[in-house]
Amino acid sequence: MPTSLPSSTWDTRRQRRQARLQRATQAGIGRHVPAERIKTLLETVIAPGDRVCLEGNNQKQADFLAQALSECDPQQLHHLHLVQSVLALPSHVDLFERGIASRLDFSFSGPQGGRLARLVQDRRIEIGAIHTYLELFGRYFVDLTPDVCLITAQSADAAGNLYTGPNTEDTPLIVEATAFKSGIVIAQVNERLEHLPRVDVPGDWVDYVVVAPRPNHIEPLFTRDPAQITEIQILMAMMTIKGIYAEYGITRLNHGIGFDTAAIELLLPTYATALGLKGKICTHWALNPHPTLIPAIESGFVQSVHSFGSEVGMDAYIAARSDVFFTGADGSMRSNRAFSQTAGLYACDLFIGSTLQIDLAGNSSTATLGRITGFGGAPNMGSDPHGRRHASPAWLKAGREAAGPQAIRGRKLVVQCVETFREHMTPVFVEQLDAWKMQESLGMALPPIMIYGDDVTHVVTEEGIANLLLCRTPEEREQAIRGVAGFTPVGLARDQAQVDQLRARGVIRRVDDLGIDPRLATRDLLAARSVKDLVRCSGGLYTPPSRFRNW
Amino acid sequence: MNLPQPSPPSRGPSFYEATARQRVNRLLDAQSFAEFLPPQSAHSSPHLALLDLPGALDDGVVIGSGTLGGKPVQIIAQEGQFLGGAVGEMHGAKIVGLLQRAIRDKPLAVLFLVDSGGVRLHEANAGLIALSEIMRAVLDTRAAGIPVFALIGGMCGAFGGMGIVSRLCSAILMSEQGRLALSGPEVIETVAGVEEFDSRDRALVWRVTGGKHRYLMGDCVALVEDDVEDFRQTIITLLAQWQENPPEPHALRAEQERLTQRCQQFSGMRDGLEVWAALGVPNPQQIPLLERDALVTLRQGLSL
Repeated sequence: MPTSLPSSTWDTRRQRRQARLQRATQAGIGRHVPAERIKTLLETVIAPGDRVCLEGNNQKQADFLAQALSECDPQQLHHLHLVQSVLALPSHVDLFERGIASRLDFSFSGPQGGRLARLVQDRRIEIGAIHTYLELFGRYFVDLTPDVCLITAQSADAAGNLYTGPNTEDTPLIVEATAFKSGIVIAQVNERLEHLPRVDVPGDWVDYVVVAPRPNHIEPLFTRDPAQITEIQILMAMMTIKGIYAEYGITRLNHGIGFDTAAIELLLPTYATALGLKGKICTHWALNPHPTLIPAIESGFVQSVHSFGSEVGMDAYIAARSDVFFTGADGSMRSNRAFSQTAGLYACDLFIGSTLQIDLAGNSSTATLGRITGFGGAPNMGSDPHGRRHASPAWLKAGREAAGPQAIRGRKLVVQCVETFREHMTPVFVEQLDAWKMQESLGMALPPIMIYGDDVTHVVTEEGIANLLLCRTPEEREQAIRGVAGFTPVGLARDQAQVDQLRARGVIRRVDDLGIDPRLATRDLLAARSVKDLVRCSGGLYTPPSRFRNW
Repeated sequence: MNLPQPSPPSRGPSFYEATARQRVNRLLDAQSFAEFLPPQSAHSSPHLALLDLPGALDDGVVIGSGTLGGKPVQIIAQEGQFLGGAVGEMHGAKIVGLLQRAIRDKPLAVLFLVDSGGVRLHEANAGLIALSEIMRAVLDTRAAGIPVFALIGGMCGAFGGMGIVSRLCSAILMSEQGRLALSGPEVIETVAGVEEFDSRDRALVWRVTGGKHRYLMGDCVALVEDDVEDFRQTIITLLAQWQENPPEPHALRAEQERLTQRCQQFSGMRDGLEVWAALGVPNPQQIPLLERDALVTLRQGLSL
């Protein structure tokens, strides 16, 4: 094989880019693209084998561009390598079924998880890896830099400047990776404006803008109706507040999505205030603007919230609370998924979330057979960052519980909050995660574990709190988990003597041990019992989507 | 521990969230309720048992007597959390029995806490017959001079046959959360398509069937807060001044005529917003967020 000589050209990517822009000009397409010519543009500036990022995550979606790409001619566009946060829309999967794309690196697939698993089994799709958001974002700047990105924004002006509105999310990051490595940036917007409220992405980073026929889809993913919170969830929220937040003095934190965490948010103005915890816990958040946080904000509990994205209906409320949220000079929020994920990973002392399965080592997974759902951001926030250096009382206390007073570093608190059984009486605690069977059946490099057991510090169930930091051996850890696993087979197989001993040592604590009166765990304790209560509490600034209303 | 009152809105115990027994116990004078055929007597549905479905010992309805402001009343409360409050044979028989007993015992009134999607489909004809028997019993009770009041504010509303039963009562009291109609939203969507009615658009469902709409339309005599205590106070006030007019054919014909005209007046409208505009409401889109008192004031200002 001949040895190739060092190339004398060092700007092949730029030349390629120029040639593509040229072809589009020849086809009569300028910066502002009429919606009906979008397919021509895509077929002109994208080439077979390109790495393409279709913007979309679990909130906003470049749905018009995704649809257009999926309708392109597979003779012209094929073997695309998609590098994107989320595979959420039917059109995303169509790309693979129609043979336009063949390789995928992503984070999360949610509703398309079933179709995706079938494509993998049929070998119609090759998955590079399933990442967390931060890993995928990191690789955009290392080895998965997009050749073309298809993004979405609220509005554009004549110069191609973009205003993202409150749902800034991933846009700046995707554009930065693409535009500064000689890629091509195509944006769909909801409207053209003469003057933008603010510039989120400068126009000279954007090559093409198309006004989509319909506004981009945004999913109200973080709205939990307080009417659906159960008394068990309220009891678990009381245990978490008193047994974890108060004891460690958790001020900086992130909450996962779910009714368990919504219950905690709604108990801050009532139960936590009555415990004298206002100002002592839950002051600084990396969190989407959960509507259920409104009462805590209104009662002065919350000082700061940085968000990954916005939430449908919350924009006016956020704009009116700029002391709490990050907002632009125009008044509206600027979110940023990459920065908020970084905040969740490195700047927070606690993550709490729920899951579908937990094994005896504390590993947890949301994977269910026949579906590839991926990870999103939970593993970033639900992990202990070993590189952290700055100390905080909560972090130090946890570190010393784990390694003794001579600990050279602290620990982030990673809490799993679950009822022992979920719907249809399926036990959450299992001897073996379904993730292992999935790894086998889909030929994955690793089992899709959401939170690694060695990162988990506490497991909260209706039966009690297991503090895994205080466990000294794998056997103790197993019994601590069994000891809060209730009437599940895993819980029934506990060694009662060991569990009693762990309780005596404070590794396991029951409601009684925490000094909580379970009779107080009623819905009357919630600061809001319905979505309408949230609206009232916001002074009418929160305008929930129709599906959450009963008025 | 002294817990502060939950911030603004949540007042007393919610009627909407309460179970049938909680509603009855909180609505009547304390300790006054005596239940007929309580769960201990185990009157559950034989039909559900045949289908191997779990039953309820009271078959989803609580009946009995008690006092309200010191006056004797009898009471029926459907449990919306059991099969959507649906009416089966045993469930219906308990209601009919209570109404017949009311004719004998002559309480001041019968309070009917409706929380039901209508007939229990598992019991088919037996359920339908039960519903028609309830309708007759309501009219018999009223004919005996005893008013029957429908209280609608539960999660299941009052739909299907129970929508008809409610309208046969002497008067209806509703909270904003309550809903009253014949065909339920899902039924309409299933039969006529999502273009006709999008049952998942909850705001639309409430604009078309909810308490505020029914109040503006004059279908209920009072709009009350979602608070059992407010239901209690409103019914006490209403009872103090109530003059029961037993159903008379000519009055029913006049009512039929009024409803026919109303049908024509609003025909073709697809949303409460349009109806409210036609009623002369100045800013119809503000209605859903109005507090009860403001809505009552607004209605007084309309020439209805």
